[in-house]
Amino acid sequence: MKRILIVDDAATVRMFHRTILEKAGYAVEEAVNGIEALEKCLQTPFDLYLVDVNMPKLDGYGFLQELRGLDIPQAPAVMISTEAEDSDRNRAYAAGANAYLIKPSKPDQLLLQVRLMLGESLS
Amino acid sequence: MAFIKKQTSESINEDERTQPRDCENLVIQLDSPDPVARRWAARDLADCPEASSALVSRLNRESDISVRELILSSLTSLGDEVAVAGLIECLRSEDVGLRNESIEVMKHLPDEVSPIMQNLLVDDNVDVRIFAVNILESLRHPDVESWLIEVIEHDQNVNVCATALDLLVEVGSKDAEQPITRLKARFTEEPFIQFAADLALKRITEA
Repeated sequence: MKRILIVDDAATVRMFHRTILEKAGYAVEEAVNGIEALEKCLQTPFDLYLVDVNMPKLDGYGFLQELRGLDIPQAPAVMISTEAEDSDRNRAYAAGANAYLIKPSKPDQLLLQVRLMLGESLS
Repeated sequence: MAFIKKQTSESINEDERTQPRDCENLVIQLDSPDPVARRWAARDLADCPEASSALVSRLNRESDISVRELILSSLTSLGDEVAVAGLIECLRSEDVGLRNESIEVMKHLPDEVSPIMQNLLVDDNVDVRIFAVNILESLRHPDVESWLIEVIEHDQNVNVCATALDLLVEVGSKDAEQPITRLKARFTEEPFIQFAADLALKRITEA
């Protein structure tokens, strides 16, 4: 079973994404900020990261930059943001994101991105 | 914490102080090229009642995280109108770290932030409205729930409403029940709003 780490400080958002992903058959863990996320992926690397931008202590950009510098098996990251500007997307990609979704998430779009990132069949 | 060690600096020892501790000199030292001198100045300016303006000005240019943390700490101690106004301006910054740090500081200034909260919650900038709701998360103030209800009743932006709803899941009382139901009806095409509204209503009913 593929393991996904949800990194978001909003409890309801984490719960919403967890519900969608678990229903689709993924194992899900949560972190409330970038620091906690880094600690978790050092313990056991994940297959995919779902990352919010604005978080206390260490935000999504900072988390991805740190993650990409770690000597662990790397995995794709989907950044989820309220910002729809190209500059925000570019910043996310520059930090290490592989895909970018706009909040609030739609279950179909989220699952499509997750499957694409994990190289799974879309049928 | 190894992950962000590069962002923090060594603690400052009393022995390292090289400049006199008067407010005028501390303001000058706040612009020193030496981060150690800036750290000293940022920390000691907490005892200078007129220092908020200089601290806010430096905050927007400061690249050393440890100096920034001390500036924010001193602004929290001063907590005057200039300090709060400077922190609010940080909400408009493109620097995510600075924005988040300002939000965290303002959460601890309920008396100073509350008079301007209503204006922040109707700011023209969507991001500022979202950050204002983020401040409410830990702001110990009796009007928090009524402010959140105002947001979900009137704000047209789904993400501002979603942020307020996320908080109402935790703090909502019976007073929020009807507004949440109306929000649900306003955003029928948004699965997250439906999910969070149902969760909030369930918690309110069970409370």
